[in-house]
Amino acid sequence: MNNENEKKKFRLIPQVMLLFAISVLVTGVITFFVQSSISNTAIRHQTESRASEIAEETATAIREYPAYDRLLSYWYTHANDLAIEYDAEYGAETETEAKCRTLTEHCPGVQLKYMTKQQLDAMDPEDQKLYAEVAYSWLITRLNQIKRAYHIDFLFCVAADEAYGTQFFLLSAADPGATRGTSYEEVYPLGHTVTVGADQQEAMRSAKANASHLANAGDYVDYYTFLGEAEGRPVFIGMTFNLSGLRSSSASQARRETLYAMLFQIFLSLICLILIYRFVLQPLKKVQKNIRLYKETKDSRTITESLKEIKTRNESGDLSKDVSALAAEMDDFIGRIETITAEKERVSTELSMATRIQAAMLPHVFPPFPERGEFDIYANMDPAKEVGGDFYDFFLIDDDHLGVVMADVSGKGVPAALFMMASKIILQSCAMLGGSPAEILTKTNEAICSNNQEEMFVTVWMGILEISSGRLTAANAGHEYPALQKSPDGPLELVKDKHGLVIGAMPAIKYREYELQMLPGTKLFLYTDGVPEATDDDGNMFGAERMLAALNEEPHAEPVRVLQNVRRAVDGFVKDAEQFDDLTMLCLEYKGNQTENAS
Amino acid sequence: MKEANKLTVNKIIDGNRLTLSLDGHLNAASAIELDALLSESLDGVTDLVFDFSELKYISSAGMRVLLSTQKKMNSRGSMKITGASNSIIEIFDITGFTDIFTIESRR
Repeated sequence: MNNENEKKKFRLIPQVMLLFAISVLVTGVITFFVQSSISNTAIRHQTESRASEIAEETATAIREYPAYDRLLSYWYTHANDLAIEYDAEYGAETETEAKCRTLTEHCPGVQLKYMTKQQLDAMDPEDQKLYAEVAYSWLITRLNQIKRAYHIDFLFCVAADEAYGTQFFLLSAADPGATRGTSYEEVYPLGHTVTVGADQQEAMRSAKANASHLANAGDYVDYYTFLGEAEGRPVFIGMTFNLSGLRSSSASQARRETLYAMLFQIFLSLICLILIYRFVLQPLKKVQKNIRLYKETKDSRTITESLKEIKTRNESGDLSKDVSALAAEMDDFIGRIETITAEKERVSTELSMATRIQAAMLPHVFPPFPERGEFDIYANMDPAKEVGGDFYDFFLIDDDHLGVVMADVSGKGVPAALFMMASKIILQSCAMLGGSPAEILTKTNEAICSNNQEEMFVTVWMGILEISSGRLTAANAGHEYPALQKSPDGPLELVKDKHGLVIGAMPAIKYREYELQMLPGTKLFLYTDGVPEATDDDGNMFGAERMLAALNEEPHAEPVRVLQNVRRAVDGFVKDAEQFDDLTMLCLEYKGNQTENAS
Repeated sequence: MKEANKLTVNKIIDGNRLTLSLDGHLNAASAIELDALLSESLDGVTDLVFDFSELKYISSAGMRVLLSTQKKMNSRGSMKITGASNSIIEIFDITGFTDIFTIESRR
């Protein structure tokens, strides 16, 4: 158990670390994508603005020639007839320069570069061709300069067909030393026609409508601007950029930014972990340690002292205070329990002693009068609690008179037992003073009523048996009917005798008495209501019928046996139900004068 | 035995008249409860009626409460027991309380 706990010492840290690791990864991924998308957009904007700048400059270079649209048309229609000098340098001894001189001679006073449409139209065809060649050469040189200045991959001017499916190359800038041709990696000459893809077509259409558009093709991006028309065909300035360099630099920047973001988050996570350890885990471990210590020692003072060291002002601090308080309460509680237990033990000891005292107060040696063969008597009292309120009694008033008493004090337990003790002593004292049962009960009632604040009462059946004759004089103060055997062969039956009020209820009660004759070999059975009112688990009572049946199982057996029969019947009836009233029985067998019988 | 032996007391106050209807078993435990209920309910009551129509059982502890209540009521008014079953009346007969209590039988 302990080992296992040691192993799981800091389960929270790995759990939180896992969470942080996941969040660092998520942050990384998000940052990377955001950064990439931002830089891609930036590159696009940057490219677009640069391209439009270049296009503007290129268009200006072309439009500087007042007759540029005538020239475009001428180049388009005469592409194969022109003898063009590509990529010549200004000022050198070039064919173009020679052509210029020829033209200047033919058209004196005309500034070649700024020749108007009218002037061009007025020239003869030979000169028009020459001028077209010269202007073309000049423009190519200019475009080459622009291309070089801006480090563009391709810069060109094309005429598209009506369906935008092909491009007719009018102008195409080249780097110094590049070869002109129609093969791959050569710079296209005038009149070369290429088929273009959907992207390029779309870009050109869009350029015609909105003036500019980008078309992507891998790392290359094409940009088109509408320039004008030649022979009814749209003419575009186009350029191509290689974005791979820009892209890779932006990607590496995005990676760098992502790395920084992740490192920052890892740093924050570490600080978080340290704080959790310091402010949560450590105090928690300490609280746990102290709880375990308390479990072993049950000493709240030690752990309260120890827990005071936890000074964190958060829930773990509160927890340690609560644990201290709880431990103190537990101590207090345990202390109280100990006191209560000790008290209980004392009471229990006293009660068991009281049980013994009470039992000793009742005649409990059987046979009680071994020398008297004229009668046999047996009785027992089984209290529901440690002490009971029932009692029986029998005593020889004189040689010929046996007093028999069965009584039941209201209630149970200690109060009933105290009242029972007083009642028994008073009753026996009164009996010993002499008198009939009615007189004895009347006197007893007076004595008890004089000091009965608690309104306790006791039901008493009292009889005095004249041993020599079997005449039984009895009086009943609110007690159960006795059972009597009228003849030795007959059954025990209830005697519905005259009842007086219970003793202790009212002063100045006169009790009446009656006489019964006991024949030799008959029995008298006395009991308290605990017998007929013994109750089973379903609330059913044992009842007088069952009691009589049990009595008459063996009516001729000895008194002890008769009581055993009743007891067994009661136990069989109530089964496991708790006994809730005292259970007291007495059986007197009158045997008559033995000497007479013998003779 | 546990549930079956519960006692419920229905209390109706009508001016100076207090009617207590008892349902169940008036044994040692419920007698203490009834005693407590009576000690707080009897102020100003001159006419006390116990309705025992639904009372199944009464123990000596229960009768002790009735006796002490009867003694209290003797000095300020009357107490009456109604609707008691034959078995309850028999208990009153046996203990002799029939002479002390005013008992109106069922019929």
